[in-house]
Amino acid sequence: MSDIAISRPGLWGLRALFAATAIFLYAPILILVLFSFNRGTTAVFPIQGLTTDWYRQLFTNHDLIESLRTSALVAVLSSVTAVLLGVLMSLSLVRRRFLGKSVVTGVALAPLVMPYVVLGISLLILFNAAGIPLSIFTVTIAHVVVTLPFTVLILVPRLSRVDRSLEEAAQDLGAPPARTFLAVTLPLILPAVVSSFLIAFVVSFDEYVVASFLVGDRATYPIYLFSQLRFPNRLPQVLAVATVMLVVSFVIVLLAEVSQRFGEQRLLGR
Amino acid sequence: MVRPARSTIHQGSLRRGLATLALVLPPLGWLILFFLAPIVLVGMYSVGGLTLYRNDVYLTLDAWSRFLDGSVYLALFWKSVRMALTVSVLAVLLAYPVAYYLALCTKGRKYVLLLFIITPFLTSYLLRLLAWRVILGSHGVVNSFLLWSGMRRAPVEWLLHSPFAVILVLTYVWVPFVCLPIFVTLDTMDRSLLEAAGDLGASRWRTFWRVTFRMSTPGVLAAFAFVFIPTIGEFVTPLLVGGPKGFMFGNAIADLFGPGFDWQTGSVLGVFLLLVVGVVIGIFARSMRLSEVTSR
Repeated sequence: MSDIAISRPGLWGLRALFAATAIFLYAPILILVLFSFNRGTTAVFPIQGLTTDWYRQLFTNHDLIESLRTSALVAVLSSVTAVLLGVLMSLSLVRRRFLGKSVVTGVALAPLVMPYVVLGISLLILFNAAGIPLSIFTVTIAHVVVTLPFTVLILVPRLSRVDRSLEEAAQDLGAPPARTFLAVTLPLILPAVVSSFLIAFVVSFDEYVVASFLVGDRATYPIYLFSQLRFPNRLPQVLAVATVMLVVSFVIVLLAEVSQRFGEQRLLGR
Repeated sequence: MVRPARSTIHQGSLRRGLATLALVLPPLGWLILFFLAPIVLVGMYSVGGLTLYRNDVYLTLDAWSRFLDGSVYLALFWKSVRMALTVSVLAVLLAYPVAYYLALCTKGRKYVLLLFIITPFLTSYLLRLLAWRVILGSHGVVNSFLLWSGMRRAPVEWLLHSPFAVILVLTYVWVPFVCLPIFVTLDTMDRSLLEAAGDLGASRWRTFWRVTFRMSTPGVLAAFAFVFIPTIGEFVTPLLVGGPKGFMFGNAIADLFGPGFDWQTGSVLGVFLLLVVGVVIGIFARSMRLSEVTSR
């Protein structure tokens, strides 16, 4: 900390701003959680007593459970595919030299800046033109496109810090490239692989825009949640499931972060 | 002796080339098939090079000229630009002091605090929107509180289903993310520059404007672009909290592919949005440097 960066009163001002921002960011989330325990059926002050009824009702809501299972399936399929493709892409970007590499890098990261509405309509046109009916698989295909850049962004930095001499040593000892990858490289980048899988999973699970164009008759969880917002009397249940998902996504993101840190330590040989 | 040696070298490089192809082809093929090709299809659709429904006109620029000739959609586009600009500027203004505080005024805990600020961005997007719906609705948290406490007699109607709501919620959504690139540029800045400015007698404000802020402009520009680009094509937030008055360009596209049912005009809007995003990326390309900003 250098004194030239901030004066004493200025420091208190910045602390206040930081605290205000933290409250601004967390208050809506906490309000959501608070009202999920509200006995009343509308989210109005004052709170009419606490209850866990809404949470208990979730277990008997078949449409909700069905949508959660659909989303879990889509998220697993798409994130496994995205991680596999992401590993291949990262290996070629970090370990190989080829013509047009910068173009390939650009293409691999481009979905990050693609407006999801346009991605949705463009795939809708593709599937329509090709005569492919919309289903959970069309959503899965789109989610692989959406999540692939995330996996590349997580894997490339990790891979580029793996000591190359380890791989060369394995190859000098006669291991074929595939064996070298499985026995040497993969264990070293495994935390990043896990982390990219978790991030891809969360992104897919929460994705509404692209799915809204491509989903067939089996609603994913965000689609179901959206459809429920039209009915005010379903709000308490929506808040309850929202709270559960909030906690789950928070835990998964935390796990991804821990996994990355863990990988950092392993790379440094601690 | 020379020839066989050469041919093994040649074979080796051929094999390596094939191995590279085997690595890069699956992911690249996926993106060509399900990302690039569909974009080409939208472009074709917008000029009638591809038609799927009866109201699509074969090979025509009519949809384009109707759009560009002062249509409601063009007006909606400019409204979306204004909203996206407002959101990006607000998000940067709110995030800058936080990033500055974390990077330059805290000691050991700065990464923990940074994670604390970013975490809301990593949790479900939908649920954060939902929270604001609950807060801003005419029977929502804010209004019921105002009525209950006696500060207002009637609910404030413009809180939800208004451009105000869209701008507020989008700013809320983006502030944590915006902290990241600004923090990175401030954190990696050479501190001795600050000391030097101080030693040379510059005041704190002067040091901030002439040194710190200038050093952080790449981060600020990157942050601005990272908010502006997705916001200009935003679709869910206006749908959930915007109402008809808060509709944006993305909603018009979705509507034309949904109830509005005019895929040709919708494709024109989509291609136009892509072109605009491309231009913005072109302008900000140098400061965006995706891989550097996102990998710590």
